Amino acid sequence: MAIEITRSRKYSLVVSTPVMPAAGAFGFADSYRAMIDYEKLGALVTNPVTIDAWNPAAGTRTVPLDAGLLLHTGLPNPGLRKVIRRYRKTWSNLPIPVILHLAGTSVQHVSQAVNLLDEVDEVAAVELGLSDDLTEGEALALVCAASKLEKPLLVRLPFYECYQLALPAAEAGADALVLTAAPRGTARDAHSGRLVSGRIYGPLIKPMILRLVGRLRREVAAEVPIIGCGGIHSPQDARDYIDAGAIAVQVDTATWAQPKMLERISRDLGGWIATRRKDALLDEWNPDMGHTEALQRRAPAPRANDLGK
Amino acid sequence: MRESQAYIERIKRVNRQYQRLELAVHQSLTSVLAGQALLARRIEKDFESERWDPYLRKLWFPVDLHAGNLLTIELSAHEQFSPGELLSIIGPIGQPFRFRQKLRNILLIANQTTPAPLLMMLPSLLKRQVSVTMVLMGEARAYDTSHLPGEVEIIHAEDDLSWNDMVMTLGWADQVFAACDPGDELRHFADILRLMRERRNDVPLNYAFGVFQRTLPCGVGACHACVLNLRGAQKLQCVDGLAFDLTTLRMN
Repeated sequence: MAIEITRSRKYSLVVSTPVMPAAGAFGFADSYRAMIDYEKLGALVTNPVTIDAWNPAAGTRTVPLDAGLLLHTGLPNPGLRKVIRRYRKTWSNLPIPVILHLAGTSVQHVSQAVNLLDEVDEVAAVELGLSDDLTEGEALALVCAASKLEKPLLVRLPFYECYQLALPAAEAGADALVLTAAPRGTARDAHSGRLVSGRIYGPLIKPMILRLVGRLRREVAAEVPIIGCGGIHSPQDARDYIDAGAIAVQVDTATWAQPKMLERISRDLGGWIATRRKDALLDEWNPDMGHTEALQRRAPAPRANDLGK
Repeated sequence: MRESQAYIERIKRVNRQYQRLELAVHQSLTSVLAGQALLARRIEKDFESERWDPYLRKLWFPVDLHAGNLLTIELSAHEQFSPGELLSIIGPIGQPFRFRQKLRNILLIANQTTPAPLLMMLPSLLKRQVSVTMVLMGEARAYDTSHLPGEVEIIHAEDDLSWNDMVMTLGWADQVFAACDPGDELRHFADILRLMRERRNDVPLNYAFGVFQRTLPCGVGACHACVLNLRGAQKLQCVDGLAFDLTTLRMN
């Protein structure tokens, strides 16, 4: 099955299944290779990368919450050049396309990154992460700078500014919108007794982002695909996003709690989408089913009177 | 490293404060060594009814390994477990402790935390006739040591973290391993390193190690929530740790 998850242009990204890890959940390359069959995934989205190296956040970085967690890592990474040098060979050996998540910091940095990434064939697409504190003008300038890339450009929108930025980002050159980055929140760390701010993850954020996906699907031009991301913890969660109008989904912290869940969601959703396309019932689906066979299977069963004749 | 299932085979109360769980684990976990840990999470028998509270896995340090794929974990007696409970385990996490080849005397320090991360090394060290001294600081002084091997010398530190014959103990030790309260680990490790520097001529490389017990969201090096700044490099607690040379750590 081939699913085009970015706008149809000169460069577009086609994946075999519409499930991939979210940026920040899966490392830069093969952290989960021993536990997850990468061939079952649609793509790999790397951890956020900046043009220069970033240090980890000081103080508490993880606060456990009821059915979730608050995370504040500070996006530590060794810088784009080192990331490319370290992981390029591994990326080339992966059976799935690699989407590099570029943290949008400044127009100058994004332009530098675009120049570097155009030369890296192992990166199939770039996901630009827009931070929460950007104005609309700043965000659009970043998207414009990134759209010069000769690869598909996905733009991950911040949770709170999602409505304001979605349409302008699509018009500025985004080939797909990723909705959304995890919302920010504040919680008290039981160990240190201090308040910690960071991103909130867990099943509870899914209903909020699902609503955004549904609403923006109606407002954003149909040719711009939307990828749902946030709070997916079961195959049904992923199906809900597809029903709401997403073309694909990104799974975040569920992978940490249950690594096999990502693979399971991927297998389920791949089959489910293929079934829907062929207009077959779930138990009638098989990966090699043709349209004619699907129609034959859906023909009404003969009545008892007919059988007697 | 892999994800596997285990179940609680037996629960033994070792003293008023602590219990020991004997886990029947997958074959792959029988290679776990002192210094490595497990990330554990209770699971339901029926995969579909998965509950997400608590969400994150707990960092458990094995304290013993028995024949028949049995791994012993020491936990607070306040936590409720029952035999037969199913667990999902990711491990082994991290790298084993690296001991000096000519190790004769070792000093273990537990500051404001249980010494469980340091206990798995005891049987093998005592078998090699290494002299083991354990210093309990702060709240760790309340730790009941009656179940530990009699050969381990136990010292209870004063409120200012000092103890009798401190200069001699630190000079005598070939290596030091310390575990601290995960809430403010870097500050506690900095305190311990300062104590050593005040009482020794120098603190050489590979002498003083801190065992980190911070929450590990993923345990495989994916989330980068456990990155530590070492001199000249960033290291991951879950992949390169869990113990790091205190002299190479940037404490700020």
